[in-house]
Amino acid sequence: MIFSYNWLQSFFKKKFPKPEKLAEILSMHFFEVEEIEKNGNDWEIDIDVLPNRGADCFSHLGIAREISAILGYKFEIPDKKPEETKDKTKDFIKVEVRSKKDCNRYTAKVITDVKVGPSPDWIKEKLKVSGLKPINNIVDITNYIMLETGQPLHAFDLDKISDRKIIIKQAEKGDIITTLDDERYGLDKNILVIADSKRPIAIAGIKGGKKAGIDKKTRDIVLESANFNAKTIRESSKAIDLKTDASWRFEHGIDLNLTETAIKRASYLIQELAKGKVCQGLVDFYPKKHAVKKIKLDLDYVQNLLGIKISASKIKSILKDLGFDVLKSITSQFLVKVPTFRLDILIQEDLIEEIGRIYGYENIPLAFPNTALIPAKRNLNIFWENKVKDILKESGLTEAYNYSFVSKKQGEIFGYNISNMIELENPLSAEYQYLRPSLIPNLLKILKENQKFFKDIKIFELGTIFNKGKVVEKRMLTGVVSGDAFYETKGVIDLLLNKLGLSDIWYDEYKATPEESKISIWHPKRCAEIKVRQSEIGFLGEISPSIIEQLKLKSKVVIFDFDFEKLQRLCSEETEFSPISVYPSAIRDIAVLVPRGVLVESVLNKIHAIGGVLIKDIDLFDIYEGEEMPEGKKNLAFHIIYQAKDRTLSSKEIDEIQNKIIKGLDKNLEWEVRKKQK
Amino acid sequence: MVKITLKSLKKRAENEIKISKTIKDLNNVYKKYLDKQGELSQVLRSLKKMPKAKRIKLGKEANKLKTYLRDIIDKKSKKLRQKAVKQSYEKEWIDVTAPGKKPVSGHLHPLTKVKREVEDIFQLMGFSIVEGPEIETPWYNFDALNIPKDHPARDLWDTFYLKNGMLLRTHTSPVQVRYMEKNNPPLRIIVPGRIYRHEATDANHEFNFYHLEGLMIDKDISAANFRAIIQEFYRQFFKKPVKIRMRPSYFPFVEPGFEIDMTCTVCLGGGCPTCGKSGWQEMMGAGMVHPNVLKNSGLNPKNWQGFAFGMGIERLVMMKYKINDIRLFYKGDLRFLKQF
Repeated sequence: MIFSYNWLQSFFKKKFPKPEKLAEILSMHFFEVEEIEKNGNDWEIDIDVLPNRGADCFSHLGIAREISAILGYKFEIPDKKPEETKDKTKDFIKVEVRSKKDCNRYTAKVITDVKVGPSPDWIKEKLKVSGLKPINNIVDITNYIMLETGQPLHAFDLDKISDRKIIIKQAEKGDIITTLDDERYGLDKNILVIADSKRPIAIAGIKGGKKAGIDKKTRDIVLESANFNAKTIRESSKAIDLKTDASWRFEHGIDLNLTETAIKRASYLIQELAKGKVCQGLVDFYPKKHAVKKIKLDLDYVQNLLGIKISASKIKSILKDLGFDVLKSITSQFLVKVPTFRLDILIQEDLIEEIGRIYGYENIPLAFPNTALIPAKRNLNIFWENKVKDILKESGLTEAYNYSFVSKKQGEIFGYNISNMIELENPLSAEYQYLRPSLIPNLLKILKENQKFFKDIKIFELGTIFNKGKVVEKRMLTGVVSGDAFYETKGVIDLLLNKLGLSDIWYDEYKATPEESKISIWHPKRCAEIKVRQSEIGFLGEISPSIIEQLKLKSKVVIFDFDFEKLQRLCSEETEFSPISVYPSAIRDIAVLVPRGVLVESVLNKIHAIGGVLIKDIDLFDIYEGEEMPEGKKNLAFHIIYQAKDRTLSSKEIDEIQNKIIKGLDKNLEWEVRKKQK
Repeated sequence: MVKITLKSLKKRAENEIKISKTIKDLNNVYKKYLDKQGELSQVLRSLKKMPKAKRIKLGKEANKLKTYLRDIIDKKSKKLRQKAVKQSYEKEWIDVTAPGKKPVSGHLHPLTKVKREVEDIFQLMGFSIVEGPEIETPWYNFDALNIPKDHPARDLWDTFYLKNGMLLRTHTSPVQVRYMEKNNPPLRIIVPGRIYRHEATDANHEFNFYHLEGLMIDKDISAANFRAIIQEFYRQFFKKPVKIRMRPSYFPFVEPGFEIDMTCTVCLGGGCPTCGKSGWQEMMGAGMVHPNVLKNSGLNPKNWQGFAFGMGIERLVMMKYKINDIRLFYKGDLRFLKQF
């Protein structure tokens, strides 16, 4: 909010520090000054008054009180009262509050014989510096008092109020009001209005209506100084999407006592500047008086919480300067009375903040806590995330972070069940309408972007996905690799799983579930389910050609997609050492010609089954399917490594096993062992 | 006769050793003279037929010559070996200035790198890392944190709501409550995590980003303790003797509330364009945990007190690497990512 430097100064006799200096002082003890800007002879000081201080500091007087407490300068609240005529306000206007819960206080005063005209320059200037446009003296004075005290005021033309009766009530459905700025608003019963006997004449606490507005011919006026329920005004303002200087203040709550102070102050100025005759007394609806708040303040706790000792007398003077009264002070305890304008002060911690900030947080020393030496607990989620990221990085993949959102269209392309995706009530745009059900769509989006600059792209992400159901959020580990890179990527996955201490991993041919079969993101013949024992922990495969086409990707893409929660549960830091055999190993090669569809794994299994414990390892070193091969066949070539733990194997022994294997493989009529080595 | 033979033998051998260019030449010389079938051995054998006195005398001379020749062959051999090694080194010369062959390694996202650094520093100070859900209830995100329902204070957070009445957390603070519900003080935690704000993006704003929450609760944790810990954190993170200062602020879940500034890392407080000449940079919000938050977490505020803070991780990354646009973090552009 913007405040006028000169206006603030006007409450003080003692001269302020320069605006920059004042701004710094306010920033260190009150709230941040965002900007200072010269405006004519004055300076605009833009202070970021936060919502807890809306009640008292959306006003120049509130800020003046702060400055007074911080600098120790005395300030004076203008309190000149108008001279009142014999006419009584209550004889001119009747006020009826029908919606009592929405109106805490309604104070009205009548002023007759006003001369509507332009305001004097000193008012105009202050309004302009504060960002308001001068209109006429009556309206300007109400605004001026609002800026000075924080109490919104409204002036009605008495003659335009039907039956001279003001009713505070909920609007009726179908009510329409044209406001002072010629906007029309449709109202309903959630909106509080000020009405005369016939129709609404103002949207309560938000904006006045044109009908009963002040114009050049206005002679007699009713001033309204009300205290509306903060929540009511907040809801009304939201409902009609209209925020005003008044509504903003009401939303934050206002001192109940302020209606009276402000209306008297405004009446005085109207008498002085518009020659108005101020009627006697008020019409004042004020059913429930403000309850006095008293808080016990434990001075040891002040020291304990701030970590600095501040003397009792200093604490007392800070509180006094801010308008608090210390009612009782016994050993290390004060009983503090909270002024009515401090709606934010509810507990003793609130008082400690007041003491701390005025005393100056810069005076708080640095002190490491005296506390038990409890080591940090290890977070396994973070530990495994870090480990996985490092392994993938070392394997040549680059980590990316994507937005958590996807569009409906993305969901459709990938065949996700839209009704299972979590939709936002207020998305930023259609592009970000849903929470991502998978990391794949956005990874492919950035893969595509990167294809403009790079040929080989390997990216991964470890992030949260969202789906309706029992587990709403879970972490996924997903990577995209461009090109014909199935085996390359599989190698990375093998390395990853190996380093994570997973055993019993195997790759099963992907079988689409019935619901997936319509649109699958996977190439049906080039995708594996990664399994540990019987449970599936992820997928590895090429994405389907139709998705490549729809996304207009420049190459094939291989994806791995792990349920990271499952993966992490299987990870282990334990590595078991198996003794190195002192006996030499021997290698024999074998090549098998098999039909194309035969899985390498089934050949491996067969060799292992026949060879038994003496086979230490089998290494597939070549898969060949090409011109020299018979139609529909492929050649698999293996190194078989033989080794015993307790003896040196003789050639004879090895050859016997090797021959058994060859025979065993040849038993299958479609398989043919091609060449025997050694 | 034999004597002459020895003399000429010596001369010839010396010469042949001298002109030997390789170890192989030298071996041939050795074979020729000193081997069992060598000339000198033959001379020695021929002595057998000679009279005793002469035999002894000549025998001595011949043996002396044998030792002598062995010695100089050894010397020469050593020399040739050294020379050969040197020559072979010459052949193996490589250009050490030519570029090396790099293994193809990938890159970690800068957010990951900085997040780890921050986590490490706090873990060394005894803060455990805790996490929480990204989809939250209004209770944990607002009410439990003392952010009243129908108050403008709630407008401080621009919130994404879901169709099902839940919301995307606007800070990692809900985890304070979730953690305190299940764990008794004394406690020290940090909570890194992704948060969401319903905001238009620009160079300094994103609608999803990372926060790091901190919470320390014990019998008598004070603002002075907070100040010491957080300054230590910044010093370790930026590796510069920075200072922090606390200014008043308002966050409903703390009381008193602080805004934390740190000495500008560029000018170290002298004033420069980066810090708008103030010498300070705004770093985060913090404060002493509001009694209502403790109450809402099932703790008795009479027994416990402490501090909480929340900082943006992107901001730390941007300061550390001098990145000027927050949107780069979520674009996945390899031209950006490969720099880390």
